[in-house]
Amino acid sequence: MPTLTINGKEITVDPGTTVLRAAAMLGIDIPHFCYHPALSVPANCRMCLVEIEKARKLEPSCYAKVGEGMVVHTESPKVIAARRAVLEFILVNHPVDCPICDQAGECKLQDYYVAYDSQPSRVAVPKVGKAKAYPIGPRVVFDGERCILCTRCVRFCDEITGTSELTVAERGDHSEIRTFPGKELDNPYSMNVTDICPVGALTTRDFRFKCRVWLMSSTDSICTGCAKGCNVHLEHFQGEAQRYRPRFNPEVNEYWMCDAGRMSYLELHADRLPSLRVLEDSELSWPRAARKVAALLGEKATGEGVAFVASAQSSCEGLMAGREFVRTMLDDAPVFWTGRPDGDGDAFLIRADKNPNRAGLAGIFGVEVLAQDAHRLLQELERGAIRVLYMMDSTLPFTSDEMKRFRAAVEKLELFVLQAPRRGGLDDLADVLLPSTTHAEQDGSFVNEDGLLQSFWAAYRPRTQALADWEVFVRLARGADRELSFSDFESLHGALHAEQGAAQDAGE
Amino acid sequence: MSTHNVTVVERPRRNLWVQSYLPEVAKGLAITSRQFFKNLLTGSDIQTVQYPEVKRDYPLRYRGLHRLTYRDDGQVRCVACMCCSTICPANCIHITAAEHEDTSIEKYPAEFVIDELRCIVCGLCVEACPCDAIRMDSGIHAHPFYERDKAFLNKDYLLDLGGPSTAVQGGVLGSRSAR
Ligand code: SF4
Ligand code: SF4
Ligand code: SF4
Ligand code: SF4
Ligand code: FES
Repeated sequence: MPTLTINGKEITVDPGTTVLRAAAMLGIDIPHFCYHPALSVPANCRMCLVEIEKARKLEPSCYAKVGEGMVVHTESPKVIAARRAVLEFILVNHPVDCPICDQAGECKLQDYYVAYDSQPSRVAVPKVGKAKAYPIGPRVVFDGERCILCTRCVRFCDEITGTSELTVAERGDHSEIRTFPGKELDNPYSMNVTDICPVGALTTRDFRFKCRVWLMSSTDSICTGCAKGCNVHLEHFQGEAQRYRPRFNPEVNEYWMCDAGRMSYLELHADRLPSLRVLEDSELSWPRAARKVAALLGEKATGEGVAFVASAQSSCEGLMAGREFVRTMLDDAPVFWTGRPDGDGDAFLIRADKNPNRAGLAGIFGVEVLAQDAHRLLQELERGAIRVLYMMDSTLPFTSDEMKRFRAAVEKLELFVLQAPRRGGLDDLADVLLPSTTHAEQDGSFVNEDGLLQSFWAAYRPRTQALADWEVFVRLARGADRELSFSDFESLHGALHAEQGAAQDAGE
Repeated sequence: MSTHNVTVVERPRRNLWVQSYLPEVAKGLAITSRQFFKNLLTGSDIQTVQYPEVKRDYPLRYRGLHRLTYRDDGQVRCVACMCCSTICPANCIHITAAEHEDTSIEKYPAEFVIDELRCIVCGLCVEACPCDAIRMDSGIHAHPFYERDKAFLNKDYLLDLGGPSTAVQGGVLGSRSAR
């Protein structure tokens, strides 16, 4: 194991480690553009040059392997001068259009310019013009002038997706990223290139001119697009989600996420249930509504013909509370489950199961519940076996035809309680509407397809009267002067962890 | 025991001449009338101006109503970078960015509204603008508004107050000497 000294600090690393990684282990950040930990190393940008004693010239630290007794300087005058020169060279033809660039504020070129260059341009010849605002793919916009030709995007398409749409065309200062003739940058993961592009050459069409990055707050969250549960940064401004960005998790999604999942943030504000309603009364506060609903349930939801629908879209905490709610308030009614219908999956991230928490649902209500899906529910409804229906989500896996049948069946119910974040085309039929929060407005957790329990956190407050699922159940129980075995999130989350831990121990 | 330093002031003795006030009133009237006729006939001593018919020139750096400068072809110079609305301590600039069909412009403000009632006239927006698109040198001071929404100055209003910018788009080539 070689031991080397970087900026006077000693470290021992595995042979074959690069100087850049060794420095990172010491907490020393070496500026770099073309290096990305998940991609091959072309060492073409020269931003990461460092001084290695006894070497004849500066070496690219992203490529140079450590050696025994190496002495490295990453902030020596020679290195700083080289960085400045590299930046000046990159900026020769750069348009410096930061004011209109969506990357401004999270741009490596901007950061390094301020840190190392900060000199006015010395170039007195016109700049080379290239493609501006070019739609290189359906979801990605390309700006040739801002590109620093680091080839991260090219390598992503070659090495991660294997789709190879991109290449570098032309030569010298006319070099430009292009798609191969007849191709466009259109693969299920294409928007990842906008994250790895260190500058604003590749940006997403969706986020274009939407919000300045420095205005947004970021909350750690989980994508709800499928059962993979990719970790994301949920970025929001003034209580409104602006975008998802993948969050590094080596056990789940590494640095990536799919385009469909990235765009699923749009559902967070769409079609929301506006307010509480109990029968005709829609000017209600939660305590009053809870008493009224509890009375209705006490009157009608006893004996045969009561059904509860749990959702694979809900958090584990909400489902745990729901399980207890069924026991205490619904007389142990039979449980069905709902969620989005299965779709296409692939061998990389995208899963056919489009629900974030089917595994969590099965863990909490028992795997038997999975046999009782929404189609079974429809059969039971049409058979007239159900009088009272309590649904904790409005997502249904139905075709439009099945939806018509479902609506017709639901209309005949004695009591239909809908607790959901979204209308889902059912709000007009429900006798009771209880708005609940999306995963962006509550703390909670999902279990992904691989059995990993992952937490997410509330990013902003709901704009409506919505409450987290578990809180709705607690309030309804209180409305009937009963208590569930928990009354706050912490105790519920603790119970969930205890249960999950026990399940895992039993499984091992 | 402490000593007190007390000065005893004797009350002025007022006789009937002083007590009647009349001579002093006459004196005052005389000064006022003298000034009145002097101003009326020569106008040489007047300190005030006949606002709003007459206005004083404001100094060049006086911060008045905002204006938006325009490009050579009359389009708004602002590129909706949000630097001004970010720095504004009163949070009173509201911009909606949009895509311009000319790719050499790309981004422009579809809406640009300044709430002049909230503005604290600090001038930070002008300092922050990288494009010389917003200025406060219109020489018009914020006037009172009878209705609140009249104080939301929109893009058209601000452009009407504007003029061409003195800066050159993209800088002047070769204007910086090589160092
Ligand atoms: S578009 Fe971005 S990622 Fe691709 S080569 Fe240019 S700078 Fe690098
Ligand atoms: S693979 Fe699944 S979890 Fe990951 S981003 Fe796509 S939809 Fe979301
Ligand atoms: S002058 Fe100050 S308060 Fe007024 S708009 Fe500009 S930055 Fe805001
Ligand atoms: S700082 Fe200047 S260019 Fe940017 S939004 Fe404000 S006025 Fe427009
Ligand atoms: S990061 Fe090392 S050469 Fe680009």
